[in-house]
Amino acid sequence: MQEPVNEQDFSLKLDDLRPRAPEKKTLSGYFMPPRHSFILFDPEKCTGCGACEMICSTRNTEKVAPASASVKVVTDETQGKTFAILCQHCRKPLCLEACPTRAIEKGKDGIVRIDRLFCTDCGLCTMACPAAAPLKDPKTQAIHKCDLCEGDPLCVKHCPENALTFTRGKAFRWIKGLRWSVQLISFLLLVMVFVGTFCYFKAGEVTLACPTGTLQNIASSGAILLIGGITSALALLILTILAGRLFCGWVCPFGFVLDLVDKITPKKLGWPAFLKSRMTKYGVLAGAVGGSYALGFQAFCTICPIGTLCRSYGVQSFFKSAELAIVPALASLEIAQRRSWCRYFCPVGALLGLTATLRLIKIVIGAKKCKKFSCIQCAEVCPVGIIEADQLREGISPKIPMTECIMCMRCIDRCPYDAAKIRFRWQQAAPGEEKT
Amino acid sequence: MKTRNDKIAEAKRLSGADGCVECGRCVAACPMAEMYANFSIEMSPRGIIKKTLIGDPVVEDQNIWYCTECNAGTDTCPQGVSCRDLIRKLREAAVSENLLENAKTCKCCGRMFVAIPVENFVYGRLKDEPPNVFGMLDICPPCRREMYLQRNA
Repeated sequence: MQEPVNEQDFSLKLDDLRPRAPEKKTLSGYFMPPRHSFILFDPEKCTGCGACEMICSTRNTEKVAPASASVKVVTDETQGKTFAILCQHCRKPLCLEACPTRAIEKGKDGIVRIDRLFCTDCGLCTMACPAAAPLKDPKTQAIHKCDLCEGDPLCVKHCPENALTFTRGKAFRWIKGLRWSVQLISFLLLVMVFVGTFCYFKAGEVTLACPTGTLQNIASSGAILLIGGITSALALLILTILAGRLFCGWVCPFGFVLDLVDKITPKKLGWPAFLKSRMTKYGVLAGAVGGSYALGFQAFCTICPIGTLCRSYGVQSFFKSAELAIVPALASLEIAQRRSWCRYFCPVGALLGLTATLRLIKIVIGAKKCKKFSCIQCAEVCPVGIIEADQLREGISPKIPMTECIMCMRCIDRCPYDAAKIRFRWQQAAPGEEKT
Repeated sequence: MKTRNDKIAEAKRLSGADGCVECGRCVAACPMAEMYANFSIEMSPRGIIKKTLIGDPVVEDQNIWYCTECNAGTDTCPQGVSCRDLIRKLREAAVSENLLENAKTCKCCGRMFVAIPVENFVYGRLKDEPPNVFGMLDICPPCRREMYLQRNA
């Protein structure tokens, strides 16, 4: 038998010499995410004086020569606009990908640096950068890029109008902690303390009921029998009108289970395209009501994951009910996409979504404050995937459909530039666009 | 009106190509070896300098369009030959003779700002990125800064 010819390429590549370590997510990094520093620029305050360019060039060339600075002030004389082009120290730097000699590296402190030993000043980083922030010195043809002066930027100190600020983002993500604790408490209350609370709850004069369940109840019994039942179902709908689908993101016990499952399945397989219609859940809602009318009992409630979860606790029902299998079955959809049940199928969410067309508040993301290519964390953390990253990259404030938004406020919590905000429905302005 | 030979002579004079001793240091330092699988002696700075010196037709040569115009060869040359300046001048001569198939022009201002093979390399490196990155690559860096100003200020 002939030996198989080994056609492996033994030549050394730069990837072998300078391997790029994969990102590791440690436990401490999860609870205390590293806060990377960056320079925030306020175009409202900038007068275009060029002091930042001058002081920056002294660092690069030891003399004042604005052309060889790592910052460039671009001015538009006709509209009176000025903007300082600065390296944003992107989360996923494109310059780092494009560099043929792997001279650019993102340090553990988040600063994107050029290693002068490897840099050949070819300028491909400028080609790849969306803002063309690495600048070519016209005299020496060297590339200069901001390295934040290793944590003490000169330009920030010398800006006469304080248009530049050096920050490290939010110190404390309080919404995250608040949301998880509210979710945990409501899970314990709804599932363990008051069994079956979500579907129907009575304490003295106060009654609360699931709106979708009430609809099915009305459909199955064929008459508007319980005025009290309708008013108790209204409580959740009024909350939705006031604050959007706050229930889905903060209270829903099944949503809490889904968020937990999401934590242990960070890799998503993707959802088949033919099932990618958010309209499906309205169909499920109509089917649930119609099925109840036809069958004479609350058809969907028997398989509702929220309901089964709420009714499951306690020794008796835990062993008795085979219906509890619906919870892990639907929670496993989380492997495909985050909150895929809530996105595509949940009829409770569909009814709340229909109610949310009357909402009073909205979430806005101002494209002018957003740093676009360098960040796009909001689109990544959004559990229902309604933030259009492409629109943000192109500088358009994305329209966030509040019928889909579950008001988890992850985007607001994450945005380091304060671009995502809650606004009243009648307020048109997004952050950074108030003055036009 | 300058003839082609005048332009090549000027390129030689400005880059100091006459001083080349064919040591090959520029080839060792050249990042093109890392960038292109078909890197060869014809494509390398030494090959182009040699071709220019012995008078071969170099302006029509496709190989002058692979260079990224970096400083590596210029910095390392013991004789002070600037292969960057030589290739830049040769490209200028090619553009003035309407040999434009490898020159990429900016969508906004129409300036020639990068060679197509270099751009293809950047495309290859960024192929996993979202598609609207590539719309950005059609615009030259100064125009991109201008666009950034219009969008953000």
